[in-house]
Amino acid sequence: MSQLVKLSGFFPRVLKPFEYFEPETIGEATQILSRYGDRAKLLAGGVDLVPKLRRRLLIPEYVVSLQWIPGLDYIKSNGDGLKFGPLTLLRSLELSPLIQRDYLALYEAVYQLASTQVKTTGTAVGNLCVATPASDIAVALFALRAQLRIAGPSSERTIPIEDFFLGVGQTALQSGEMVAEVLVPRPAAGTGQAFLKLVRTAADIAKVNVAVALTLADGICQEARVALGSVASTTIRAGKAEEMLKGKAIDQRIIEEAAAAAAEETRTITDIRSTAEYRRETSRVLVKRATGKALERAKS
Amino acid sequence: MRKIEKETVNFIVNGRKYQPTIEPWVTLAEVLRDYLDLTGTKVSCGVGECASCTVLVDGNPTLSCSTLAITVRDKNILTIEGLAKDGLHPIQKAFVDCGAIQCGFCTPGMILTTKALLNENPHPTREEVKRFLAGNLCRCTGYVKIIDAVMAAAEAMSKGGK
Repeated sequence: MSQLVKLSGFFPRVLKPFEYFEPETIGEATQILSRYGDRAKLLAGGVDLVPKLRRRLLIPEYVVSLQWIPGLDYIKSNGDGLKFGPLTLLRSLELSPLIQRDYLALYEAVYQLASTQVKTTGTAVGNLCVATPASDIAVALFALRAQLRIAGPSSERTIPIEDFFLGVGQTALQSGEMVAEVLVPRPAAGTGQAFLKLVRTAADIAKVNVAVALTLADGICQEARVALGSVASTTIRAGKAEEMLKGKAIDQRIIEEAAAAAAEETRTITDIRSTAEYRRETSRVLVKRATGKALERAKS
Repeated sequence: MRKIEKETVNFIVNGRKYQPTIEPWVTLAEVLRDYLDLTGTKVSCGVGECASCTVLVDGNPTLSCSTLAITVRDKNILTIEGLAKDGLHPIQKAFVDCGAIQCGFCTPGMILTTKALLNENPHPTREEVKRFLAGNLCRCTGYVKIIDAVMAAAEAMSKGGK
């Protein structure tokens, strides 16, 4: 059956059976995850999991729904920054005026997701845990220096988002762990942010996506984050490009050089959506444009 | 903590209570179509990409093919069958009058998503309509008449429809 599904695109009418749990606390959820390890999958909105169950790309023995754990769907903000939970919907992030005002790269990343249905059901944390290098949310959160609080059965840890992705579909979550919260520090005054995506149609997966955040003081760049997606096996930061921007009064020449450096840092591949060469070249263009946009926004 | 193997659960569909006995791996689309005989909801791609299967769960447009039915128990579900009261709903009438229906497969999903849009934004621009309905694919019409129908429905409803 699986071969037939993969070869013909024929999708079975009925999902394969699994055992199903509804924990009522994060503690209960992490206990089940540590007992069953890879044989269990967490269910949040289900917009990624359920289609994969139907395509037989995933055949978990255990499905663990997070929906009956209260208090996981929130957006909180104070002077230190923004926090949201594992069940916070993409649509909630999109409709938050605070996020549109202060976390513009994240807003732009969520806003351009085309399907209302995916946004009203799907969660940002779920998207991160799928760990596709093409994630629009991830690239914006890289530029915003997000951190992830990870809960395990007996402990917790907080890691920068750039340590979260290990490869295509692979996260740093150990057995029994789940993401409990995303923390985004409040951007300093003088920060400009931009998100750009090169894509065939509105509803498609990116060929290349980019997010840049620059902080200026007295016209000099204090901090720079340049993040790219769909150009390596994980979302990446273009460290060399960032170094070229920091400490400078950024002008067009510096932007061009930083963009070229960023393109050199990619490890693009050819696949169904694009070629390695096209991705490398358009990374340069997108970084150039996003940096220009972020700079303009930082100055205003 | 609950472990569910097979259970009789409540669904409130179009204002009526149903109590099918289901396993956790049954999708909402299957419950509606196969258990409750409400075949107005269509399954097209089956993998959450076309939105033909859209129903409203507590007012939210939801992909019924990609929702485990057990997770929406006790919620208010609106399917296409629940719209018409004393004749067609203004949205349905607008789709018919504007020629926005060809094969009809995307139509229930389009109409219910339109209902959710107009509940939230009773006077959308064409751009806002395109944006909200962007997840709903149509292979027949080329979308223009669908957008016309949504705009016409908005107008009709603001003049005192529902």
